[in-house]
Amino acid sequence: MAVPNRIAAFALAWLALACGSGGDAEIVIRFPGSAVGAEGELLAEQLERFMAERPEIRVERQATPDASDQRHQLYVQWLNAQVGDPDILQLDVIWTAEFAAAGWILSLDRFDPDTADFLPGPLEASRYRSRLHALPWFVDVGLLYWRTDLLLEPPTRFADLGGVVTQAARRADLPYAFVWQGARYEGLVTVFLEFLGGHGGRILDDRGVVRVDSEEAVRALGAMRQAIEAGQVPKAVLGWQEEQTRFAFQNGKAVLMRNWPYAYPLMEEGSNSRVAGRFAVAPMLADPSGEPTAALGGSLLAINARSEHPEAAWSVIEYLTRPEQMLDRAVQVGQYPPRRSLYQEGSALRGRMAIPLVAIRRVIERARSRPVSPVYSELSGLLQVRLHEALTGQRDPGEALSLAAREMQDLLARKGLAPEAAGDAAE
Amino acid sequence: MPRSDATEARRAWLLIAPAALSVVVVALLPLAWAVRESFHLHDLRAPWLGQPFVGLANYAEAVGDARLWQALAHTAGFAAVSVALEIALGLLLALALHRVFSARGPVRTLALIPWALPTVVAALLWRFLFDGPTDWLADPLRAWIPIVLADLWKTTPFVVLLLLAGLQTIDESLYEAARIDGATEWQQFRHVTLPMLRPALLVALIFRTLDAFRVFDLIYALTGGGPGTATEPVSLYAFEMLLQNLRFGYGSAISVIVFLVTFGLALLYVRTVGAGLLEEER
Repeated sequence: MAVPNRIAAFALAWLALACGSGGDAEIVIRFPGSAVGAEGELLAEQLERFMAERPEIRVERQATPDASDQRHQLYVQWLNAQVGDPDILQLDVIWTAEFAAAGWILSLDRFDPDTADFLPGPLEASRYRSRLHALPWFVDVGLLYWRTDLLLEPPTRFADLGGVVTQAARRADLPYAFVWQGARYEGLVTVFLEFLGGHGGRILDDRGVVRVDSEEAVRALGAMRQAIEAGQVPKAVLGWQEEQTRFAFQNGKAVLMRNWPYAYPLMEEGSNSRVAGRFAVAPMLADPSGEPTAALGGSLLAINARSEHPEAAWSVIEYLTRPEQMLDRAVQVGQYPPRRSLYQEGSALRGRMAIPLVAIRRVIERARSRPVSPVYSELSGLLQVRLHEALTGQRDPGEALSLAAREMQDLLARKGLAPEAAGDAAE
Repeated sequence: MPRSDATEARRAWLLIAPAALSVVVVALLPLAWAVRESFHLHDLRAPWLGQPFVGLANYAEAVGDARLWQALAHTAGFAAVSVALEIALGLLLALALHRVFSARGPVRTLALIPWALPTVVAALLWRFLFDGPTDWLADPLRAWIPIVLADLWKTTPFVVLLLLAGLQTIDESLYEAARIDGATEWQQFRHVTLPMLRPALLVALIFRTLDAFRVFDLIYALTGGGPGTATEPVSLYAFEMLLQNLRFGYGSAISVIVFLVTFGLALLYVRTVGAGLLEEER
């Protein structure tokens, strides 16, 4: 018995020594986030600077999978185990509600952060039940890429697709008018969200009632399917994610493409791009009944509710979301900042990003977050199946969407998240 | 003498113990845990619901889950078609290879290459073959063609090898006797080869059916279960429920159902195809 005790005592002493040897730091903050390539290098630099400013805090980075799904799975396992270990979490914009509802992340209201400068979309994605649970770190938005050598101006209406866009494709002998992500995955929901917004519909309304079976939604999905049937959009998109659409567009096969900002520098500078200098970005198409809509992506920073050092964790987040740190991130890694001031006249960011700031600002300001729900990924999974069935001709859009709506509503009820019956009755 | 018998027996148990222990730890314990989970509501994404015991509620949900029934039907259809084709094709190839005497070794090795390739790599290969030139992957029925072809390409060699080994154990004198009795080639095949090949056929059938029933990586990489859920097998659905939706309770219930189905299939095979075998041995 005595021996194990001695070993334990020795281990403790060694541990104390090991911790003490890291400098004067008394507080250790663990931060598992994207740590690959340029992004990882920049984060390491930024944290060095932070630790120079706050020597009593030491921030340790932890390697995590870069794929969002896998990081989510890892986080959920950690948080379920109710440990305070990772102090700071890098959330995808669609996770906030889930993590907040589970009580896994702290409300940041207690730190009274100044959010006036943050853009509305990312801020909305950081809130759950009107309380702030995260701070936006960088944003991603859905963009309409168009060929400046084939069209005089960017198309704005869905009707233009069958009109000027198809004519331009025919004149220049391009096989497709428009390419987007149509595989059965999260990307399909972002594309649908943009078509839906463009027709004046939404997925969930403000009370959390599922609205994907609305007339607008049926028209939006009908338009997507009709474009495939008319040959304006290749049937192959039903298996495409971001990269396949980029290849089609950069090989000069399509007049329009829906994609995220990452594609811009790749097509502008890539040696095998056939469209360098011959494309630009614009807001998504819309009907008079709707408005141009961009799906919002990106990352937020949040604090583990069981962290032993929430104040120290907050100071790291506060540091990383300062305008000058976001500027570095934008210039060095190409991730767009969620702060309004950085897009204004005289911003140091002007002329330093791949996409002209004026062009992307119009889109980012209108970016719409996906439904804020603790079970968003499951809702999205159900919707993906029905959308894909409609697009592949297995069901009518109307039938597919009413099935999706029923399944989504049932799911919310099963999770105890259904909008109150009283609200429904009042309708 | 009895004492040494007892020591012998004890030593035998001791020698088996590590293997038996690993079977318990690796196979039985997780199985028991899955069964336990399947009687609970355990949803990592909705921790506010707690983890109450819910009896058969997960199984009741499974019975009413159209997507699960569809997935089971897909799996059964895929297993029936692909295993039937594999056994037929494998038998033909094995008979042909059995006749070839020169270079049999190298030919056998070459035939194994598709089988040795990681399934995901093979699946991606077939996906690229079909994704560009056709739009079959977006068609609920035709999407099955590349899936079945890829499975045939990949696992027929395995069946060939098993059957070839079976063919080599058949005593040549049986054929001589048959020929003397004036049996035709077909009669020799029907009354000598097939019955003698039954043990090998049974092994091939069991292995291939159970494998086909658990099909996952091939379809995951080839169609992802799409278009919609038109090619979704039950293991992919269970994976989605368990590891993407993180519904451990319901996902476990589905896994238990899959286990029962495959277990039942294996029993059925042993009782029917294997019935004669056991009697013969006795």
